[in-house]
Amino acid sequence: MEDLLEKLLEAVELGKVDKKSPYPPNLKDQDGAYELAGKALEQGCKPDEILEKALIPAMANVGNRYSRREIYVPQMLMSAKAMGGAMLHLKPFFQSGETKRKGTFIIGTVTGDLHDIGKNLVSMMVEGAGWEVIDLGVDVSTEKFIKAIEEKPSAVVGLSALLTTTMENMRKIVADIKTKYAGVKILVGGAPVTMEYCKKIGADFYSPDPQGAVNYLKNLAS
Amino acid sequence: MESTHFQFALSELNLNVSQIESVMGYKQGESQETISDLISEVLKETEAICNIKGEYRILSDIQFNDVEKTIEINHLVFQIKKIVYGLIKKSDSIAVFLCTAGEGIGIRSKKAMKEGDLLTGYIYDVIGSEIVESAADLMQNELEKTVISSGKKITNRYSPGYCGWDVTEQHKLFELVPSNFCGIRLTESALMDPIKSVSGIIGIGENVRFNPYTCNLCDNKNCIYGNAREKN
Ligand code: B12
Repeated sequence: MEDLLEKLLEAVELGKVDKKSPYPPNLKDQDGAYELAGKALEQGCKPDEILEKALIPAMANVGNRYSRREIYVPQMLMSAKAMGGAMLHLKPFFQSGETKRKGTFIIGTVTGDLHDIGKNLVSMMVEGAGWEVIDLGVDVSTEKFIKAIEEKPSAVVGLSALLTTTMENMRKIVADIKTKYAGVKILVGGAPVTMEYCKKIGADFYSPDPQGAVNYLKNLAS
Repeated sequence: MESTHFQFALSELNLNVSQIESVMGYKQGESQETISDLISEVLKETEAICNIKGEYRILSDIQFNDVEKTIEINHLVFQIKKIVYGLIKKSDSIAVFLCTAGEGIGIRSKKAMKEGDLLTGYIYDVIGSEIVESAADLMQNELEKTVISSGKKITNRYSPGYCGWDVTEQHKLFELVPSNFCGIRLTESALMDPIKSVSGIIGIGENVRFNPYTCNLCDNKNCIYGNAREKN
């Protein structure tokens, strides 16, 4: 069984989605994350074990390698997709409540901004770390963030912006959220954002890449 | 208002797989075959969904303020800041330009991502960025050809949001061109719609010059263009 989990970890890390997936070329015709997760369950592995011993560590490796610039966005995306393949088997357990997420992360690109690739990468990696992600999309207003928080008051919030103009809109959104929900933690990111700016507007954390956000959330959850 | 308009076919831009890979960060030969194949497939699909346009307008009513480091174009003052100022101050006219890859490619990218085809969506996104940059290069070459005949040269193109020039100054830039110039709309937050668009100015004059190493002049440590240069 340990062997199977190790294989699953490797499949996710290398981005092998399922048997028919041609990527990566050196694993052609071998089982992918989809098949391996199915087999692990069949052999009596607990869904929690699959998450903790294979999927989450695999995505953490991927995130760290991306932060160190050892791999690039395409490989990270293939790993996220492979994780998604394995998750198809785990979904029923989340729905029944047998397996729990680590928490909820609400993310959106702020008012006036339509960029979403960066935000999507953060969503994927946070999901890969075992969190439920509510992606509100782009051009998200304070009202939309607040409404989502109302439904999940224990959630952590992530804001993304790509221009200095829309970065300024973060300031108001952070202030509005903090006025209503003082305890809600807010992460900010996107090309023009810095740690200095994060502190200035009263947000809780800034990271230049998704893994920084994942590590911060990990500390929060533990 | 007279302006020069271009419509480019994707084939004119000569985009190739290794160029896209290099924008993604890969060094020569580092990318995997399956990724290269997918990029090549997406490039083929792109022709049908992009609408590559460029447009420029040359304005000669300009004035430089050496103390403030500003340029006044048609009585609108632009705070272009020190770096850009130094690079265009010898111009005797200015071309204001816009360029876009159209909205189709952004829509396609989002659709693929939503459907779980993450890598395909990302490839469309990167190709969209490369299209607009390459189209702007082509348009710039055309501009150069037209001014050369009158013994003039051009500078590089400079865009609001780079080298300290505030991105909100795009509002003024858009006042210098007719509405719907190049089919681009500027939102209140100075974001161009379609996303895959660029705006800026190019200096024209007998004493200006094109600088192949502008990245060295800018102090933005996070810009991927700078990083790409470092790696080479
Ligand atoms: C490619 C690019 C373009 C392309 C495509 C734009 C697009 N996104 O589709 C083109 C050529 C069209 C373009 C145009 C412009 N651009 Co541009 N562009 C870039 C560039 C080089 C890369 C952006 C990108 O796609 N990155 C890849 C993604 C994956 O990264 P990301 O979104 O930043 O997300 C990562 C992190 O930031 C982080 N993250 C993101 N969100 C969050 C959220 C949280 C909570 C956390 C923790 C982390 C996090 O994680 C992600 C993964 O690592 C950046 C410079 C740079 N190095 O970032 C400039 C940049 C974004 N552009 C800039 C500017 C100014 C412009 C223009 C206004 C220039 C002009 N006048 O024409 C236009 C505007 C276009 C428009 N529609 O309005 C500026 C913006 C800053 C500013 N001054 O406002 C930048 C930062 C360059 C600079 N000057 O330093 N651009």
